[in-house]
Amino acid sequence: MLEGDQYWAHSKSEPIWLLLVQLRSPLIALIVTYSISILGLVLIPGETDLGSPYYLSFLDAFYAVSYTAMTVGFGEIPYPFNQSQRLWMLLVMYSTVIAWLYAIGSILSVFSDPAFHRIRSQNRSISQVRSHNEPFWILCGFDDTGFQLIRFLDQAKIRCVVVDEDPERIDCARLINLSYEPAVFLSDPSEPQILVDSGVSRPHCCGVLALTGRDQINLMIATNARVLSPRLSVYSRSNTDFSTRNLRSFGTEVVIDPNRSIVHRLVQMIRRPNTYALHNELIDPDFNQLSVHQLSDLGHWIICASGRFSELVVEAFVREGIPLCLVSREPPEDPSVCDWVEGVGTEAITLREAGILNATGVIAGTTDDGDNLSILLTALEEKPALFSVARRNRSSSELVFRHGQFNEILREDRVIAQEMFARIQTPLLNQFLGHLEAMPDSLVFDIIEKMSHRRSVEQSELDHFALVLTAAQAPGVVELLQKEATIKLGDLLIDPLREQPLLPAICLLIARLNADVIPIPGDELDLVLGDQLLLWGEAEALNRIKFFIGRPDLFEANIKESDPLL
Amino acid sequence: MNTQRVWFAFFIVLALTLNFGFFIGEIDNPLHHNSYELFLTLVVSLIATVLKVGDRSHMGAVLLATSLVADLQLIMAATIWGYSSEVTGHVSPAVMASIVSLAGGAMLANLTSVVLLLSETIQLKR
Repeated sequence: MLEGDQYWAHSKSEPIWLLLVQLRSPLIALIVTYSISILGLVLIPGETDLGSPYYLSFLDAFYAVSYTAMTVGFGEIPYPFNQSQRLWMLLVMYSTVIAWLYAIGSILSVFSDPAFHRIRSQNRSISQVRSHNEPFWILCGFDDTGFQLIRFLDQAKIRCVVVDEDPERIDCARLINLSYEPAVFLSDPSEPQILVDSGVSRPHCCGVLALTGRDQINLMIATNARVLSPRLSVYSRSNTDFSTRNLRSFGTEVVIDPNRSIVHRLVQMIRRPNTYALHNELIDPDFNQLSVHQLSDLGHWIICASGRFSELVVEAFVREGIPLCLVSREPPEDPSVCDWVEGVGTEAITLREAGILNATGVIAGTTDDGDNLSILLTALEEKPALFSVARRNRSSSELVFRHGQFNEILREDRVIAQEMFARIQTPLLNQFLGHLEAMPDSLVFDIIEKMSHRRSVEQSELDHFALVLTAAQAPGVVELLQKEATIKLGDLLIDPLREQPLLPAICLLIARLNADVIPIPGDELDLVLGDQLLLWGEAEALNRIKFFIGRPDLFEANIKESDPLL
Repeated sequence: MNTQRVWFAFFIVLALTLNFGFFIGEIDNPLHHNSYELFLTLVVSLIATVLKVGDRSHMGAVLLATSLVADLQLIMAATIWGYSSEVTGHVSPAVMASIVSLAGGAMLANLTSVVLLLSETIQLKR
């Protein structure tokens, strides 16, 4: 029990105590030199101007010692000192000045002590977390993924607390340009105490994001969070199937395996290009365009990859029946399922051996950015019409990849951040993405066609938002519904400025209070109180909708004007 | 035997004994109260305070608090004495009485320190 008490006392120690413990001996040195100096001055007899004996009072002595110690040196007051007093003053000068220098030196060394700084910033972060009165997430592990995710979350006005054990990354988190100042903790995120300090049991805490690169650490973060605060959502990154199963076994809400996600997207891109385009637009807050890749089905794909990624790609491509040729140093587990060429793929001869002239595309998926660039540049030299897919591993290489004119870039950190953000931002989007998986590509094609019919400017930005038909969020709609009027979904999309017949927006999903979920509802559907709508469309159009549903008078007038029968 | 503990107990007990020596005597008679003794009491009490700093236990916090109380009372007593003798010129019995009663308060605080120290020592089982 004693040990526990000490642990708590230690974890909550304030920097002032650390300072005072360090200052113990200089303070005692100061007190002792001062008191001996004062006592000596009081005891040594002096003389007045007229030669009669005189003793300094304690006040005079304290005064004289103080100005001597501070090196101010006002002189010999109230009367000139005699020789014995001067002898004593010599001692006083040297001893007290040295004691002061010692004390000041100790104070400065404490202030410049990294441990002192760490405790101070830790305490500041703890009080920052305590004063949080908005929902926040605890982000454990701040590498490229965390950096991307915290920016996505900031765009959605969701706050984060950052924990990492690397001082450089913590500095990066401190300096990142956000709309708020995140609380940061320099500590091993797998320690339970740091989760408590960063607010795991605060009422405003929404959940914990375990984003470190190591599975064992993520596992510990997830279990700690699960035990310390069972109501929280825990999202984790995982690099192996074993760890994924392990994390899921105790109810981790979301487990993202970046390699599996990337492979899934590759297959989606090749087999269901429309779904891929819509998925990409919805999931990334920074990417606001629809770009559908038209791929020819004739040739095969050359995949340059190694390790687990190559295994997963081969498995998925074989399952989907996409012809491929693997270029890697080691042969695939089952050599009979696909062609295999030994090599890295950075040389033209290897690529020719893999049949580059008949290939549809090439995927450079090694874990080395230099190799990936080299593979693609060589491949495009051989066949310029090739569809090129680059895997970008480190965010520092982003610049070259973006200027490389590749058709598609896969970024591991960004994929994780996107997948997590889509699930944090609105549960409705998550639900819709689930439905999107099961939708035939032709249906998605129809949605995209419908949208492009409604759009006037091809290049305008797309966005989405979730709307709940409650008095707080949509007073306009709710008031009209309470008057027992029927409102159709299409009524929301009537353009108040009459520039176009319908605003360029589509409702992707309606979730009702009675647990009905309707993906891609028609415009004729009657709205009911409490409906949750996921609206997708041009950002400008969505703003108009948001404005009108907030104004009961305008909304009603707008509907009546367009439909005189109502 | 721990040298640090020896010094710690030494200064706490010395602060009490010096304080008692100053306090005892007729309350308003300056002849019964020595100014050097008050000075030494104050110095020892200050050193005891510094020694108590940094002990993070609950006992340490209470010891530090009692010591700070004693310092405060002694500094007030010394200030009143210095002011009345240097500025007004003489120490009247009324002023002396208030100086000694302040020192008496400090003695109570020092006594509390010693009692806490003793109780902690007795609880220690070897």
